[in-house]
Amino acid sequence: MGDSTNDIPLPISVPIDTRELAELVTIANRSKSPLIVAGNSSKLDWGGMVRDARSIISTQKLDRLIAHAVGDLTVTVEAGMKFAKLQEILATAGQFLPLDPAYPNTSTIGGIIATAATGSLRHRYGGVRDLLLGISFVRADGKIAKAGGRVVKNVAGYDMMKLFTGSYGTLGILTEVTLRVYPLPANSGTVILTGAIEGLRNAAKILLASTLTPIAVDVLSTAFSQHLEISNTPSLVVKFATIPASIAEQSEQLLAIGKGLGLKGGTWQGEQEQQLWSGIQTGIWGSTPVGCKLGVRSTAAVDTIELLDRSTANTAKGVIHLSSGIGAFALPDASQIQSLRSHCEAAGGFLSMLQAPVDIKGKIDVWGYRGNAVPLMREIKQQFDPVGILNPGKCL
Amino acid sequence: MLLAEKATARDWKPIIAQLAAVVGSKGIIQRREELITYECDGLTSYRERPDLVILPKTTEQVAAAVKICDENNVAWIARGAGTGLSGGALPVENCVLIVTSLMNQILKVDLENQAVVVQPGVVNNWVTQAVSGGGFYYAPDPSSQIICSIGGNIAENSGGVHCLKYGVTTNHVLGLKLVIPSGEIIDVGGEIAEMPGYDLTGLFVGSEGTLGMATEITLKILKTPESICVLLADFDSVEAAGSAVSGIISAGIIPAGIEMMDKFSINAVEDVVKTNCYPRDAAAILLVEIDGSGLEVETNQAKVAEICRQNGARDITIATEPEQRLRLWKGRKAAFAAMGKISPDYYVQDGVIPRTQLSYVLQEIEKLGEKYGHFVANVFHAGDGNLHPLILYDNSKVGALEKVEALGGEILKLCVKVGGSISGEHGIGADKRCYMSEMFTETDLETMQWVRQVFNPKELANPGKIIPTPRTCGESAKSAHKFSGIEQY
Repeated sequence: MGDSTNDIPLPISVPIDTRELAELVTIANRSKSPLIVAGNSSKLDWGGMVRDARSIISTQKLDRLIAHAVGDLTVTVEAGMKFAKLQEILATAGQFLPLDPAYPNTSTIGGIIATAATGSLRHRYGGVRDLLLGISFVRADGKIAKAGGRVVKNVAGYDMMKLFTGSYGTLGILTEVTLRVYPLPANSGTVILTGAIEGLRNAAKILLASTLTPIAVDVLSTAFSQHLEISNTPSLVVKFATIPASIAEQSEQLLAIGKGLGLKGGTWQGEQEQQLWSGIQTGIWGSTPVGCKLGVRSTAAVDTIELLDRSTANTAKGVIHLSSGIGAFALPDASQIQSLRSHCEAAGGFLSMLQAPVDIKGKIDVWGYRGNAVPLMREIKQQFDPVGILNPGKCL
Repeated sequence: MLLAEKATARDWKPIIAQLAAVVGSKGIIQRREELITYECDGLTSYRERPDLVILPKTTEQVAAAVKICDENNVAWIARGAGTGLSGGALPVENCVLIVTSLMNQILKVDLENQAVVVQPGVVNNWVTQAVSGGGFYYAPDPSSQIICSIGGNIAENSGGVHCLKYGVTTNHVLGLKLVIPSGEIIDVGGEIAEMPGYDLTGLFVGSEGTLGMATEITLKILKTPESICVLLADFDSVEAAGSAVSGIISAGIIPAGIEMMDKFSINAVEDVVKTNCYPRDAAAILLVEIDGSGLEVETNQAKVAEICRQNGARDITIATEPEQRLRLWKGRKAAFAAMGKISPDYYVQDGVIPRTQLSYVLQEIEKLGEKYGHFVANVFHAGDGNLHPLILYDNSKVGALEKVEALGGEILKLCVKVGGSISGEHGIGADKRCYMSEMFTETDLETMQWVRQVFNPKELANPGKIIPTPRTCGESAKSAHKFSGIEQY
């Protein structure tokens, strides 16, 4: 297996259970041998380059279902379970984990949590942090610890679930997690508005201030709209998932808003709709050499898409989830990174260059940290992993 | 190790002079009779008088005061409105209390981006009032929302009756300006969720004042739904009401909130608040709030009513107009206060259980109450399994509190035994720290201590809270995993 993070082939260990994982970490810690922490390696190249790694350690064999408490809307699994497998299990009970990560077929649950990877469904269900109820993990010293619990409401002890979500395997290796799940919506329908940026900007504003109840609202760049065969303009894509009569009524209201603003509108359902959302979910990451996660205030979302279109001559795929302002861009190279980053920061947000060739990551700051909390974050890393064996350099 | 110095060694005069230079002499309370107010929070059974109370107005004042505490090794405790129920704001010996009552400004309202920036002393309810004209509201609504402060909500990660669908405080906080115990001002999070780096916002919310103090808070607000309806159903048995809750959830409906009150609570509320809408002869009532588009509410309301009837509901009252809805909620929100009127004292617990264990746990609680000779009333967030057993007692009777605490402890252990938690929204504070080891191993607690070590290495910020120590809890600080064979959570 190649180490795409560092471009050096490394040995990989695949422990068969938590105890074996803990033993391997203990040995690595004792011998001060940095580890690259992986699930199924789908996002191994995300983030900073790991320094001095001697081997990869993967949780992919820790893939058991521990408990699906159907009536409590929670599920407990080992961290190496694949996302797709978990969704299959939950679907048999009419439930699902409301995340739409970039690599749904290969990602493990642990990897999704470590990278906080989700997409359009944030609009209704929040981010990964909002669904994680409990964790067990192997610490850098090889000891096994846990936090949180298996119930949907719990304030006992510090919220380590939040600390671990998006920590890229730098604080501990997740072994078992409990997540909140939801009933699978029985029906859905998607409205697509396309046309001039001014109209889309107004439509987005009216939609956010309305009482409509979509579960996803995305702004797509021109190239992404073309790629998804929606239009040759940027677009606003809105998914409703409720009772059929309400889907129909809300879709009509939104189409009327679009019409009033001179936008073209259409509704997509069934297979076509499913393919569209799957395309939005998987169409960005890994499709070009440089992949970015970004955030802007929601009022700046449409303008940010316009800037992407303008600065790449309508060639870059990009999506921003309107209410959270979080999105992803696929860029051909890093030439626009600095100007896009400045724009995002001026709009209250950030731009992190998660995917890029090694030489570019060596030259341009990957994360784009802001504010004055970084020293405190580094102290946390130091406290949790004093020897620096867990993904050193990945972040912070 | 506590570095706060002992009383005998403490000369307050120079410290008072330094603090007065920061907050002015009017910003300091040191007269004995005025300090009595601050001896306890909503958990009145524990009291300790602080040596000083200071009332800062700005982040910079808090930072300067905390720095003075740090330099002089003085313990300090942040306090909001003092409505907390776990003794989170309980003073310790020789401490300064930093009270946020003058930090009560709403700093920014941004309806378009659905965010509000507030100082910590802003009352929970004010946030909704500030944005309701624009058709928005702030979702977390603890029963004390007309008095409790946002800063306290942040510290405790407070919940409320509308948290089933929309989540608790932590799900609505985007960013914080913090004063950490060194006196440094640190910004975490921001205007957007998931800024690069560790989620220190998420880590801080619910840290009960042990990692520092939030002095500016950026909250998410939500659009008020097009339609809201509250449904009151009454049942012959608690079990039937519990089955109705399970039925609603398994039908794929997620109401904004589902609350349950038992017969005793219903009658206490009717005696005191006189809402005249809760049937006194019911064994239990459910209050279910459904929101969404008009059509969604209409459909789900009919489904919920049907599920309640199938599970034996006798009468169902439906309220859609704001005034009627508030009337139905009024009794529920006043339930704790009503207990205070009918019993000299009450002790409230906050355990969480998997929703599916509801009937079993309620029966067990009743048995425990009988064993200890105390009446236990139940008012709780049925939708998410967050129980609030209220143990009624008379604190003037010698030994009563000890007995009640022992009963409360048994209830918490029961919650842990069925896979639950010792606190859903009130926090661990001083009250439940000795039960932490029922849920967590020494390694778990040590890892939590790592976090505190980074923010609060001298343990000057709210010392002794949350994590058990041999000093506060004796032997029980060490024990863990008391139920062999059951995985403890």
